[in-house]
Amino acid sequence: MTPIADFHLQAFDPTVFATNWTAVAISAVVAVVAIGGMFAASQILSSRRKSDIKLTPYECGIPPTPYAWSNISVRFYIFAILFLIFDVEAVFLFPWAVIFIKQQAMGNPIPFYAMLMFLGVLFFAIVYAWKKGALEWQK
Amino acid sequence: MSWVLFILLAVVTLVGGVGVVATRNVVHAALSLLVSLLAVAGIYLILFAEFLALVQVLIYGGAIIIVLLFAIMLTRSSEYPRISDNRQWPIGLVAAVGLLAVLAASFWISQHQSAGPESPALGNLANSLFTRWAIPFEVASLVLLVALIGAIIIARTGEDEG
Amino acid sequence: MSLYDIYVISPPLAIAMVGILVILLDLVVQRKRALPAFALVGLIVPTLLLVAQFQDLGNTRDLLESPAAMGNGKASVLLGSLVVDRFALFFGFLVLAATALVILASVDYVERLERRQGEYYGLVLFSATGMVLLASASELVTIYISLELTTLPIVALAAFHTSSKSSEAGMKFLIIGAISSAVMLYGMALVFGFTQTTDLTGIASKVAETTGGLSFENLALLTGVVLIVAGFGFKISSAPFQMWVPDIYEGAPTPVVAFLSVASKAAAFAVLIRVFYTGFFGVGADWGVLMAILAAVSMTVGNLVAMSQSNIRRLFGYSAIAHAGYILVGVAAGVEGSSGGTAAFVSVGPNSVLFYLGAYTAANLTAFFAIVVIGSRTGSDQIDDYAGMVQRAPVLAIVLTLALIALVGVPPTSIFIAKLYVFTAAVKGGLAWLAIVGVINSVVSAYYYLRIIRVMFLQPPPSDERIPMSPSSWVAIAASGAAMVWMGVAPGFVLRAAEIAVATLAVQT
Repeated sequence: MTPIADFHLQAFDPTVFATNWTAVAISAVVAVVAIGGMFAASQILSSRRKSDIKLTPYECGIPPTPYAWSNISVRFYIFAILFLIFDVEAVFLFPWAVIFIKQQAMGNPIPFYAMLMFLGVLFFAIVYAWKKGALEWQK
Repeated sequence: MSWVLFILLAVVTLVGGVGVVATRNVVHAALSLLVSLLAVAGIYLILFAEFLALVQVLIYGGAIIIVLLFAIMLTRSSEYPRISDNRQWPIGLVAAVGLLAVLAASFWISQHQSAGPESPALGNLANSLFTRWAIPFEVASLVLLVALIGAIIIARTGEDEG
Repeated sequence: MSLYDIYVISPPLAIAMVGILVILLDLVVQRKRALPAFALVGLIVPTLLLVAQFQDLGNTRDLLESPAAMGNGKASVLLGSLVVDRFALFFGFLVLAATALVILASVDYVERLERRQGEYYGLVLFSATGMVLLASASELVTIYISLELTTLPIVALAAFHTSSKSSEAGMKFLIIGAISSAVMLYGMALVFGFTQTTDLTGIASKVAETTGGLSFENLALLTGVVLIVAGFGFKISSAPFQMWVPDIYEGAPTPVVAFLSVASKAAAFAVLIRVFYTGFFGVGADWGVLMAILAAVSMTVGNLVAMSQSNIRRLFGYSAIAHAGYILVGVAAGVEGSSGGTAAFVSVGPNSVLFYLGAYTAANLTAFFAIVVIGSRTGSDQIDDYAGMVQRAPVLAIVLTLALIALVGVPPTSIFIAKLYVFTAAVKGGLAWLAIVGVINSVVSAYYYLRIIRVMFLQPPPSDERIPMSPSSWVAIAASGAAMVWMGVAPGFVLRAAEIAVATLAVQT
């Protein structure tokens, strides 16, 4: 059963894909080697004299509070969740942006309206979060 | 070539996964998970699934790990950094190995079939996502809405208590 | 997407809209009493749409295959994701009725919350949206995402209370729900890998054409189906996947537990039947055995552990496990045939499941609504605190007694007919041993249900304080109680509805 006609299959060439991503792979390797090299070089070349004051996070200034992992406010968590939800939303926009004009031109308006509804629901989500004061730091 | 890459990435995934369960420090566990998730993104790439790799890095490597670390920092810090010893780990090991055996056997013995009929290019994925799978896609927006409402309710509850 | 497509998905769409509007209304309205009223009035719209769809079905099996759907020459977008047949509509009505009753019974509880009232009703309605979608989902991706939409709001609702027990319930439900979803998703992935399709009819034809020596004909299919059964096992709260049930029943707010115990269970059974009868009927004889074993274990575990419970909500948790077992008997009875061979469809099996779910929904809701009222006044869920309840709240005690008698399955009640139906189906499906196990279990279950009645009637009350009942609780208890009695006295209508619903279920042999 193929419910929808008009599937426009794009030609797929593995060689082109591989070439494109080889560049990414090379730059990734260069980045890792460069940064790793810098750290290694500073480890090998620098001279170190350890003392208590050198091991504190801020060499001069206020001594840090007793424990590094103190509780953080629950508000951070709401922000993290909001970030996650709208991150997921944004990810869906990528494939949609690639095809919706083409599909519209081919007489298939479904992708456009599907995304409209999707964004509508998430727009309501942000209105809700706003009204509830989840976006404000002080309340 | 792709075999070498696959084995490399698979080893990194497994090392990350073992790191999650073996480390005593809960933050190190979260960071090991990050290694594992990013290696999975690499596996998607050698399967030509660019978009999935992107999603994996953006959502899992970025957002999920951040939420996880925030959740760790939210909870009582005095009981960290040591996760108490879990005495049930031998049972867990047996269960995990058993599951691995069953799943591996089912893949090995069953008749294999080549990948699906459609090419994994982004346009094709998008075409089917927004037409054939339009309904699940819309439902996903409601799931996200519910997640947001639930998070606000539960987090605010904690705040009310002081 | 034509207008007709919108009409086809309009019932879940309307429920979701009501949910969104209730939350919006909460942001602007001061009088919070308006919220449940709006939700209840709003639920009339999806109900009417379901009625209209039922009328429009006529002689077609699926609304999406009707001439109107094919009008523009192209098949609908929804074809393949959803099936709108009478089976889906049956569960649509059931879920809507349960949702409306739960909203009505929640009014008192929610009013005491003061804040976040709109979210409570909104989440209940979103969950109901997922359930209605689940009943008509005919494709694995839609099934999965609808299940998530069903479960996630209940997680938030379980943690609604500020008490630590409630938070614990929410946390446990979240983790167990996530694990069960993951297990089920893994099973679906295996099935997809084997069949190359997520569509249930496509899976069915692929399953039918494979033959091999192995049980389930293929190990990947076997593992996939077992994992899917495990995933559904969590959702319908059957043993051995039942460990979350008592804690959530004890910790979550009581109206939420009522909702979880009936609507969520009914929707999960709907999709279970659809997946296994439409998708995997080709290996029906194999999973039939699996279901029969699950049913036997579930009944036995639930009833035996329920006997030692002192908290009424935990007791109902174990009772829910036992009833999941009875209902699974009907699921297992729908296939006849020995393992490895071809299976024959015995329609009495799923028929009895549908009737049982209807009867159980009415009886369990009645019992839970009485517990809500009593528990909110006495502040306790211990069975001992129900002592002398007949003097403190005669009407409630009598209603609760009726519901408990129904849950035992004593002759003139709805669940008696349901059990009779299920066990007859089991005998017809060649599972006489399972019917015997079921009957023994029913006798055992009488012990703990009747113990509550004995405490209520024969023990002296600790105080003479009467237990008041608000008008909304009155209506909810009266409606669910009436439905319960009606299905016991005149079961014909629901029996017939179940038959019609199952007749449209696509079974590929």
